[in-house]
Amino acid sequence: MFLRLVADSFGRRRRHKLLTGAALALGMGVATAALSVALDVGDRLAKEFRSLGANLVVTPKADSLPLEIGGVDYRPVNAGAYLPEADLPKLKTIFWHNNVIAFAPFLEVRAMALPFSREGRKLASSIADVPVVGTWAEHAVPLPEGGEFRTGVAKTNPWWQIDGRWFSEASHECVVGVAFAKENHINISDSLSLTIGDVTVTPTPLTVTGILTSGGPEDASIVVPLSYAQSLARKPGEYRKLYVSALTKPEDAFARKDQKTMTTAELDRWYCTPYISSIALQIQQELPGTDVRVIRRVAEGEGQILTHVEMLLWLVTLAAMLAAALAVGASSAASVIERQNEIGLMKALGAGSGTVGFLLAAEQLLLAFVGGGIGYALGIVLARLLGERIFGAAPEPTLLVFLVVIGLAAIVTLLGSAIPLRRASRIEPAPILRGE
Amino acid sequence: MRAGRDTNRAMFWRILRRLLGANRGRLFVMLLALGAGAAVTAALLNLQVDAKRRLTSEFRVFGPNVVIVPSGALSSSSETLPQSVIDSVSGNVPGGRVTALSALYMVASVSVPGSGKSASAVVAGINPLFLTKGYPSANPNGSLRSSENACVAGVRFAKEVGVEPDTGLVVASGDRQELCRVANLRQTGGPEDNRLEIDLRAAQRLAQLPDRLSMIELIVPGTPAEIQNYIADLQRRIPDAEVRPVRQFTEGQAKIYNRISGLLTATVGIVLVLTALCVMAAMSNVAIERKMDVGLMKAIGGATRRVVRLFLAEAALLGLAGGVIGAALGILLSIVLGKAVFGVAARPRLIVYPVAVGLTILVAILSAFPLRRLASIRPAAVFRGEA
Repeated sequence: MFLRLVADSFGRRRRHKLLTGAALALGMGVATAALSVALDVGDRLAKEFRSLGANLVVTPKADSLPLEIGGVDYRPVNAGAYLPEADLPKLKTIFWHNNVIAFAPFLEVRAMALPFSREGRKLASSIADVPVVGTWAEHAVPLPEGGEFRTGVAKTNPWWQIDGRWFSEASHECVVGVAFAKENHINISDSLSLTIGDVTVTPTPLTVTGILTSGGPEDASIVVPLSYAQSLARKPGEYRKLYVSALTKPEDAFARKDQKTMTTAELDRWYCTPYISSIALQIQQELPGTDVRVIRRVAEGEGQILTHVEMLLWLVTLAAMLAAALAVGASSAASVIERQNEIGLMKALGAGSGTVGFLLAAEQLLLAFVGGGIGYALGIVLARLLGERIFGAAPEPTLLVFLVVIGLAAIVTLLGSAIPLRRASRIEPAPILRGE
Repeated sequence: MRAGRDTNRAMFWRILRRLLGANRGRLFVMLLALGAGAAVTAALLNLQVDAKRRLTSEFRVFGPNVVIVPSGALSSSSETLPQSVIDSVSGNVPGGRVTALSALYMVASVSVPGSGKSASAVVAGINPLFLTKGYPSANPNGSLRSSENACVAGVRFAKEVGVEPDTGLVVASGDRQELCRVANLRQTGGPEDNRLEIDLRAAQRLAQLPDRLSMIELIVPGTPAEIQNYIADLQRRIPDAEVRPVRQFTEGQAKIYNRISGLLTATVGIVLVLTALCVMAAMSNVAIERKMDVGLMKAIGGATRRVVRLFLAEAALLGLAGGVIGAALGILLSIVLGKAVFGVAARPRLIVYPVAVGLTILVAILSAFPLRRLASIRPAAVFRGEA
């Protein structure tokens, strides 16, 4: 009988149910879309922030004080300490190795450059004291557990713009800075021969494969494969500076706590959270003799903006959910208010207030589940579209969002109909049946 | 004729009043739905305009994004700029204030008088020296005091030379020397870690380069396009120097700004459309309950057009009321939200208010449209309880 009454109500008042259901579905669609985006946005934006470049810098602990002005180190090659390149694959063995998305070692030397045209003709007399930067462009780092990890400066410094292409590490190739190229009239596919000190034989020249615009001191230098810079500086297998780009969680009050005052449990929690400071510590543990520093300019700005944007989206989500809840609540309230006749009749036929309330609540809940389910699907589709348009990747549908949305739908419809139901339960059947 | 129309109008309003007052529960429900919609519309629109603007000033935390260097300074850093260049830098842009930082770099020998430790290090004359807000904030160990002989030591420099806050230092270049007292240490992860920053005038005396600068760093707030324009404009005003964006930050910021503002616009758009549809569905649901009213009006001779007009007027009135109340609440809400997120209350934009109210009225009228269907109702059927 109960089921028949519910089914009858849906059949007879199809239009109403459809509209209440539509309001529910739309409202819950808003909630789902906003919630999915808000849940996902932190990770997506953190990736986006990596376009600001590396947030960690690794230097030798025993290094002498760099004399760096305008990005150029004025120390002689022999001064200061170096780090072994062979240790670098260890970066992908730290606890948060998946968060290390790119790294690139640097070795800078100053050399004399001798430019040649494409045909092998000497372009100019030699250019003295040119900064030469050795690094990886797109290097395959063999991983300890097998496989390889491709990384390099193209990933750590995404704002470096290359006209032409990056050098390939196997062949004799290089990339020149835009200011250097302009000053010395060097074009792509010319070549350069680099020497340090007095060398009687001109070494094999490097072919220029691209012109680099970085907006920094690299614009006036020559960028070569790390291995070539190592042989030029006579420092085989060594580098001086390592930039690491890692996905991190913005630092909160807990992350700023002094590690020395933490309890063991807190220390574990800190270590197992991808805060920039804990990743820095893990890198330091893997690469002995290094000093790992956070590039605060990048890391702190990122943390602050990320926190604000996430908060903003949560508030938008909350506001959207509130509005959806109010509209849906109003809709279900309306559908109860209009049914006083029916309620009166039911009571006249001997139904108690409880039974009537239960019947109506069951109807509303059924509607909430159906409407909420449709709304969830709608919201997921919208969130997908949004994610794909903006970040090129759709947020994963999560069970959490589904449960929250269905729960919200149920609560809102019940709350919305509770007040009119209470009033309805006090209805005297007689005047209603008389049509008063 | 005229009197007839007046009676008609009076009757129209009277019926309208009765319609609204007839069922207070229903009135409340309709106002709630419309008001909630209006509040969200107003809050989101206001917040959206404000948040984008706010975001550009948030980028300040990344520090300088534009530099002015002597022309051709890339290949040699010994060239300098006249200090007067800084007068050409305008202080205000649409996005806020431009902060300028002038610097003179040199290599000098720094020693600690007590311990006899000394090292040759990069010494930067910076003006203003203590710029904590907007510049990479470090670990400000020690108090921030601004006086001519105060200096800031980078952490690596401090470790090398053995400097702590409040250590006195002698900075010497050639036969000239300056004294300074370390006010605080800082760690930025950048080249600042390796150097000592002193007052600009002291550095100029040391280097014997009065009124000269190595570079000026600017923090320019604004959208990517505004920053581009600012750079072009500044370059026109100072043709002798080179004005360059710090690509790492300008490009990164442009990318992030576009993403975030796109995200915000899209989210707000979707939320607004769905909310409008949701309110519309809720309202239509109420509207189709009005069969009895329509039937009665038609039975006593109301023309269909008149009846529909009556209900549309009712909807518009409800929309106006819901909109006026809801939008006001929404703007208040956005002020509170803005304060919660950015620490600064969102400035209410007056244009948002009429837009939100207008949209609410529109939604209310649109949702009264199922009533058109009621025009085909046969009154007799309604009264017999058949429809």
